[in-house]
Amino acid sequence: MSEVLAAISTSVIEGNLNDCVKLTQEALAAGMAADTILDNGLMPGMDYVGVEFKAGNMFVPEVLRSARAMQGAMDLVRPLLSATGASMTGKIILGTVKGDLHDIGKNLVAMMCEGAGFEVKDLGKNIEPDAFVKAVKEFEPNIVGMSALLTTTMRSMEHTIKALEEAGLRDKVKVMIGGAPVTQSFADQIGADGYASNAASASEMAKKFAKA
Amino acid sequence: MRTNYRINSGVRFEMFTQDQLEELFWGALHVLEYTGLDVMHEEARQILKKAGAWVEGTRVRLPNYLVRKSLEMAPRSFTLFARDGNPENDIHIGPGRAHFGPGPTCVQFIDIETQARRPYLNSDVPLVAKVVDALPNIDFCESLGTVSDVHHDLGALYEFAGMFPNTSKPIVAWSYDKYDSAGIHEIAVAEAGGQEAFEQRPTYVHYCEPLSPLITTSESVDKLLFAATHRIPLIFTPCPLAGGTAPVTAAGIIIPAAAESWMGLTIAQAVQPGLPFIMGGVLSVMDMSAMILAYGAPELSLMMAGITELAHYVGLPLWQTGGCTDSKTFDAQAMIEGSLSCYFSAMTGGDLTHDVGYTESAMTGSVFQLAAMDEAIGYTRRITRGIEVNEDTLAVDVIHNVGPNGHYLKEKHTRRYFRSEFWYPNLHDRRNFEEWEMMGRTTLKDRTIARVHDILVTHNPSSIKPETEQVIRKVLAEAEARVRA
Repeated sequence: MSEVLAAISTSVIEGNLNDCVKLTQEALAAGMAADTILDNGLMPGMDYVGVEFKAGNMFVPEVLRSARAMQGAMDLVRPLLSATGASMTGKIILGTVKGDLHDIGKNLVAMMCEGAGFEVKDLGKNIEPDAFVKAVKEFEPNIVGMSALLTTTMRSMEHTIKALEEAGLRDKVKVMIGGAPVTQSFADQIGADGYASNAASASEMAKKFAKA
Repeated sequence: MRTNYRINSGVRFEMFTQDQLEELFWGALHVLEYTGLDVMHEEARQILKKAGAWVEGTRVRLPNYLVRKSLEMAPRSFTLFARDGNPENDIHIGPGRAHFGPGPTCVQFIDIETQARRPYLNSDVPLVAKVVDALPNIDFCESLGTVSDVHHDLGALYEFAGMFPNTSKPIVAWSYDKYDSAGIHEIAVAEAGGQEAFEQRPTYVHYCEPLSPLITTSESVDKLLFAATHRIPLIFTPCPLAGGTAPVTAAGIIIPAAAESWMGLTIAQAVQPGLPFIMGGVLSVMDMSAMILAYGAPELSLMMAGITELAHYVGLPLWQTGGCTDSKTFDAQAMIEGSLSCYFSAMTGGDLTHDVGYTESAMTGSVFQLAAMDEAIGYTRRITRGIEVNEDTLAVDVIHNVGPNGHYLKEKHTRRYFRSEFWYPNLHDRRNFEEWEMMGRTTLKDRTIARVHDILVTHNPSSIKPETEQVIRKVLAEAEARVRA
């Protein structure tokens, strides 16, 4: 079994979408359990990518290619996981807050989180507090992630947290925030659970929150 | 298909017009023809007389046709080879190619462990060579110091003996006299596998200095004749001081410097037609209050740019200068002066740029200055590499496919180019504040010191042949016996 799983890991590391999907299909057809493929094939590959990225040996476009390969396999594995009751890493909704149209950073977080095995719902940009609330009700995520680039739109994060409180949902989710002007002290001030200074640390923090 | 389409592939820099270059050229020829130089070497005077020079006592005047003929014989393009055959370490000298390396003969050295300033020692030589060998943007090796703890006549020989086994990059070797030169050459020839093999793939350049103003010293000619006879590529570089040993004006210093270097060229080409010859010299101002040759002066870069253009105009490569500073320590002045002179030198296409790692106006060698300048040169080289314009790099189709509201992070085009289009720093910090803080709030100086220490622990230069090691021991033993006799 380990040979197939090692090959799946390698296909994730190399970002080879076709191989990754094909190998996963074959493994499933041969009767391998979906959670085994996820935990011992796909995830170790993505963990390796994370380590190499941190060490400066891999770069964002390569990490995203790996995440894309992983996602391709996840499309096959995900329905089987929910069928057996085994869980994904977690669910996360993301959005750039109201008034802000800058979303390259948020997109990076989305892709990194997908790579880490999360089910990600990206709401997009210029997202109203109420839209976050509605999405939390429908999607039931572990985590809500918000981003802003402008100092003028940062305050909308606070409004969103208030809206979650008013809807009685605040204790059902962890709230993470990020973006160039955002700081840890701002996160503390508005009552967010976490602040991440870049996409890689955001996905790591999300993993910690999902386990907790 | 493109027709009559002009391409500039890099950043360009040009100071003089053709008219100005002609004036400088004929100015130097005028000095050689009418003023002449004192050539303090009997054999050289005879060689020059036979070639067509006028000799009057020690004064030698060169008719301009003789200099022009000599210029024509020297190549603009040639290769200096890595001693281990690693093509990555070869230096191809030619138009539009700038190379970098340290300088020689500093009296003091910044101790690699303690960062204290103290005399340069024999044990420093292998360490400098190893660091040179490892740094990606340092192309040739000099030692950054004069060895103080061996017999005072043998410093240059011990220096070469210490450098040669510890880097495969081409070396620029100076010497005190022809005995040193012979010892150095014996080592290089042993590794090359004979004199003829060396001639075909020279691994080092011989460096000699005439004296400003307008004196061709006896020792410099001794060494020049040795190099020419043995077909060793030659640097003949004066070091005039504007306002001291040369006219105070930038145009005025270029003329005697060229004349001094071309006297060496004319002797060398008379002895060995076609000998690879690298024109000098080091031009800067005599600071009129500190009374030093300023290595961090803007005039150094400016005058060096001027003489580089003159060298290229006459079809010679130039011994450029950069990466040096008047600062005594690793500070902002050292980085400003060093980085700007590296950048300027690269812009001129300075063929071999030396003195990278000089501090305290060439009094103190610093491997840390050298390692920091490796970063500045990398940065510089990304700029001089320029912008490539073609259908694929214009990316119009990629722009169309991504459209408004998309992003380029997942594009094949991005993956194809992000490594080659972007320069990735080794020392500069680009992390965000939190990560920088977490990693210990390091400064450029901290990271430079760490990199040097890391290189010395982890880097292993390719080794020389066992028989060359024996030759080195023999050459040093013979030299010791000679100076004791």
